[in-house]
Amino acid sequence: MDAKDILGLPKNQLPIPQEKKSRPPKEPQRKPDGISREVYALTGGLAPLMPSVDVSQLKRRPPSDEKVTWQWLPFTNSARKDDLQLFHWVRVVNGVPPTGDYAFAKYNKAWTKEETDQLFDLCERFDLRFIVIADRFPSSRTVEELKDRYYSVSRALLSARAPPADITGHPLVKEPYNISQEVERKRALSMVLSQTKQQERKDTEVLAEAKRITESRMAAKGPEESELPAVANIGPDNSQRAITGDAVTPSTAMPSSAIAASSTLMADNASTLASLRMLRVYLRTYALDQMVQAASASAGLRTIKRVEQTLQELGVNLKPKVPTKAVCAEHLELRKEILTLLNLQKQLQYKEAEGTSFQDSPYSETPGTPKRAPRGDQDRPFMPDPLGFGGDRFGKRDQKRKAPGRTSEAAQSPSQSKRPRKMKASDI
Amino acid sequence: MSARKQGDGQPEDGGATAGKRLKIAKFSEDPEKKGLSRRLKDAEISLPIVYGTIAFYLGRKASDGLFVSTVIRSQSHKWTVYVRGATNEDLSAVIKRVVFQLHPSFNNPTRVMEAPPFELSECGWGEFEIAISLFFHPDVCDKQLDLYHHLKLYPEDESGPQSTKKPVVVESYDEIVFPDPSEAFYARVQNNPAVIVPRMPAGFNISAPVAPENTSERERGDTKDHPLSQWFMNFSEADELLKLAAARQQPFMEMIYEN
Repeated sequence: MDAKDILGLPKNQLPIPQEKKSRPPKEPQRKPDGISREVYALTGGLAPLMPSVDVSQLKRRPPSDEKVTWQWLPFTNSARKDDLQLFHWVRVVNGVPPTGDYAFAKYNKAWTKEETDQLFDLCERFDLRFIVIADRFPSSRTVEELKDRYYSVSRALLSARAPPADITGHPLVKEPYNISQEVERKRALSMVLSQTKQQERKDTEVLAEAKRITESRMAAKGPEESELPAVANIGPDNSQRAITGDAVTPSTAMPSSAIAASSTLMADNASTLASLRMLRVYLRTYALDQMVQAASASAGLRTIKRVEQTLQELGVNLKPKVPTKAVCAEHLELRKEILTLLNLQKQLQYKEAEGTSFQDSPYSETPGTPKRAPRGDQDRPFMPDPLGFGGDRFGKRDQKRKAPGRTSEAAQSPSQSKRPRKMKASDI
Repeated sequence: MSARKQGDGQPEDGGATAGKRLKIAKFSEDPEKKGLSRRLKDAEISLPIVYGTIAFYLGRKASDGLFVSTVIRSQSHKWTVYVRGATNEDLSAVIKRVVFQLHPSFNNPTRVMEAPPFELSECGWGEFEIAISLFFHPDVCDKQLDLYHHLKLYPEDESGPQSTKKPVVVESYDEIVFPDPSEAFYARVQNNPAVIVPRMPAGFNISAPVAPENTSERERGDTKDHPLSQWFMNFSEADELLKLAAARQQPFMEMIYEN
């Protein structure tokens, strides 16, 4: 019924007489037997195809002719080597205590002489082919257990029969069978064998990634003095500028994430450079490729495609035809700038979308609101400050803005500093 | 520090100098050895090269005057694969030998060129990937560098019959970069026209250890007057730089820097 609602289909298609017919057969099915209604509902409210619990057994009580008492009685454990006698509560029926061994003794993996003899007989017959022996063995023992027993017995016999000095070279003594290691090894092997192709691929990807990271880490650690301090000098400088630029603003997510992005970008650059130096010889095109990858690491595939599209629109080769040092540097910078541009445009879209939703609500209270009203040079429609900047700052920036010919999108750009040519994407 | 003699094929001890940018090495008597262990920090020497293939269609009557259908003839094309300096200068000061790995259907598919010009010519009809391995002199680098180039015999434009006069030329420009080069290498190539060396601060003086060889005695290693040089492509850095600069100055790119 609800499904029909969701699908938008008309309900009540069945005429009344059909409803009456379906209801009586359902009634006896609905009432659960032997368990309370709520408990039955836990199972989903529907009768299972085959009852997992024998319903008739549920309300069974012990037969009234049996007299049950509980007694504190001693017991012994056949699995123990000593004759320790402990006590426990025992359910006694009609004065007869239960017979049989201690219930948990069967879990003790002891080898009886009989079992061992059988094992050795099979070993002889089947020429130490343990897989066959395991199959023929009367009681169920794993291959590893059989091997362990066989080798430890053989080793014991060997050391008993020969003087200890002579046998230290013997493989049985030198490399004893390690059952736990074997079990683990076979388990791991079967896991590797049963990996799906996708898992395999993921594993190699992760390993390659880890290798790359450790290599770049090692490389970044190696050259200590000039390189890292030099890079680090640029790093804090950039983040300094960005931070002071934001000092007045109530912090939004954007500047902090931008700073985080800037530090990762610098780190990426440094580690790529470092790993290149480790190579001792490389092609310029390879180096450019690595730098481009490092710069685009934070971008999704779609963004990367858009960067390439933009490059093509600008008439720039995706891979430079003449990759000199200067050309590669320019190319890299161009790519980074385009990436920044696209990211900013995207953020702008988000903020504008947020902005319009604020506008719709009658209670739009944004920090910039009171200070915006008096400004007369705005002939744009009121838009609440989507970027959360302080009103003062916004006003200040307003004066620096270019001619009104600019579109509102550009004006809303959250970029902070004026341009020095050197500014990189990492500054944002 | 493991010392290496120049010209010795012994591989560099990975632990000793790899990854270490030593300005001053341990003092050793042999100036040769000293030159190898001192390295120029934060500097790179680069070698601009062009590598590729030029393939000529031999026409239908090219073999012994017999008319053989080129479709089934096994030698419809004659091609040359090579590595040359981007300005056609001699590369042998840096490159010791080049190994071209051809398709296994060729006799002795591994062809080794020990002297410049580093090239190889063959006949055939198939297109395949050629692996080009560059081996450098010991004071340059002990690791080889591998390039790959797809041999193209048939022109893009498939209209009309193939010309025997105009070959199919595919060349790639690239630069081999040696970061932190050894002083000996620097000294040896600082005046070599094929090599781009960094500009050293004033007062930095390393004299070339060996007098330059008599060029007239050696065969020419440069490709300036190479028989195929008329087909070499022109790689102009200026064009690409202009394009890139123009792209970065596009008005909408300025949005990044505006308020």
